[in-house]
Amino acid sequence: MKEHTVTAFDEELGQIGGLLNGMGELAGAMVSSATHALLAGDNALAQRVVSDDALMDSRQRELDDRAITLIAKRQPMADDLRAVVGSIRMAGDLERIGDLAKNIAKRVGAVGQDAIPRTLSHSIDGMAQLVLEQVRGVVERYTAGDTAGLATLRNDDERIDVKYTAVFRELLTYMMEDPRNITACTHLLFCAKNLERIGDHVTNVAENAYYVLSGEQLPADRPKADEMAAPTA
Amino acid sequence: MAQMLASEMTMTQSVAEKAAKTKIEVKNLNFYYGESKALKNITLSLPERSVTAFIGPSGCGKSTLLRVFNRIYELYPKQRAEGQVLLDGYNVLDRSQDLNLLRSKIGMVFQKPTPFPMSIYENIAFGVRLYENIAKSEMDGRVEQALRRAALWDEVKDKLDASGTSLSGGQQQRLCIARTVAVKPEVILLDEPASALDPLSTAKIEELIDELQADYTIVIVTHNMQQAARVSSQTAFMYLGELIEFDKTEKIFTSPGQKRTQDYITGRFG
Repeated sequence: MKEHTVTAFDEELGQIGGLLNGMGELAGAMVSSATHALLAGDNALAQRVVSDDALMDSRQRELDDRAITLIAKRQPMADDLRAVVGSIRMAGDLERIGDLAKNIAKRVGAVGQDAIPRTLSHSIDGMAQLVLEQVRGVVERYTAGDTAGLATLRNDDERIDVKYTAVFRELLTYMMEDPRNITACTHLLFCAKNLERIGDHVTNVAENAYYVLSGEQLPADRPKADEMAAPTA
Repeated sequence: MAQMLASEMTMTQSVAEKAAKTKIEVKNLNFYYGESKALKNITLSLPERSVTAFIGPSGCGKSTLLRVFNRIYELYPKQRAEGQVLLDGYNVLDRSQDLNLLRSKIGMVFQKPTPFPMSIYENIAFGVRLYENIAKSEMDGRVEQALRRAALWDEVKDKLDASGTSLSGGQQQRLCIARTVAVKPEVILLDEPASALDPLSTAKIEELIDELQADYTIVIVTHNMQQAARVSSQTAFMYLGELIEFDKTEKIFTSPGQKRTQDYITGRFG
């Protein structure tokens, strides 16, 4: 991309892009740490996620301030305008991902210090990996300008939804088998719901990133599971 | 699928209904300043009763194109146009075209306000008298109507005998627009009409353009991209005498199709 005649414009756009990238990386780290903390009963790690959320919030506020100032000073057009407005929207979704990761981390205290039995946590661990791939992938593909990859990633959210339904059924079964599992499984259900919501925010980020890069909106309706290849996860 | 097709057809129909009649059609237009070619094979259609903006860097030919529409370039030697400019289907470049009639149909306002050194009233009546012989009472009505149309009446109604040059820059420019409107043109050409004005006067001119498009076909040349984005329905981007891109204004400023357009409007040019 050619540089702007006004070099400060490039610097300001670069700062917004850098902040967004940092928020994306932080969101990935928070999701990873939160699920690990919950499954391993690691309270210290959970506390770090809570404090990371404050950092995430302050980065979003800084991004908003910079974007508003840039619009006022530079009156961006075309791809610049899409990048600035898109960054504000994507930052909003990344900040929500941070909130949901914090919600997961805050359950650690409620569950207690003990690690959750592997039998119960196995499938939610798989779901968390799937969500983590999506969070990391969306930032990578946006940075790489990979529009086709973003469209695929958006459709891949279906895999998370399918996995969520499976986890839900599985945890219900554990609870019916042994009522002593109810406390842990209920917390895991909340965790699964939060992971599923994170997937939805990743979808929003992918849609905005696609628009920023291409100038076109993805179709409003995603293909449904029965129209797609069978989920691999 | 059938539902998608049906909705697409409905969209096409609504687009067709909204598509306005073409007022000016430019076909294969070339323009020369002596040996130098300033416009290269321009072809575009301007819809009736809407605002079209021409943008592009200095020397790209946008003002030249505007000056071809009412053949004002003929006031200068060694300038010639080839091709066709059809106003309601009739080629205005045709030798048989009556230039006075053409310029009454296609009015023009320039960058620098150009009031005549006479009273506000006479600034407007002067042009009307060139084309029509009307009674004083009717002329009073025409002057008032034109000044109202240009959103200037309330500011000058008590000093119609004052000199046009005594007005502020913004008022002078609106006086020029009133003068143009008074002869009942069909098309109004605006060549950077607000570039010498303060923000408030600019806002008044833009408000005026918005109102005038209900009755007139307006073409505006502007260096101010935000202004083009604000006032026009379609925008043409020109570069080195060529028409690079012509599309709906919202498309040009949010997602242009050509890289050169994008580089220009985002400030990555040259």
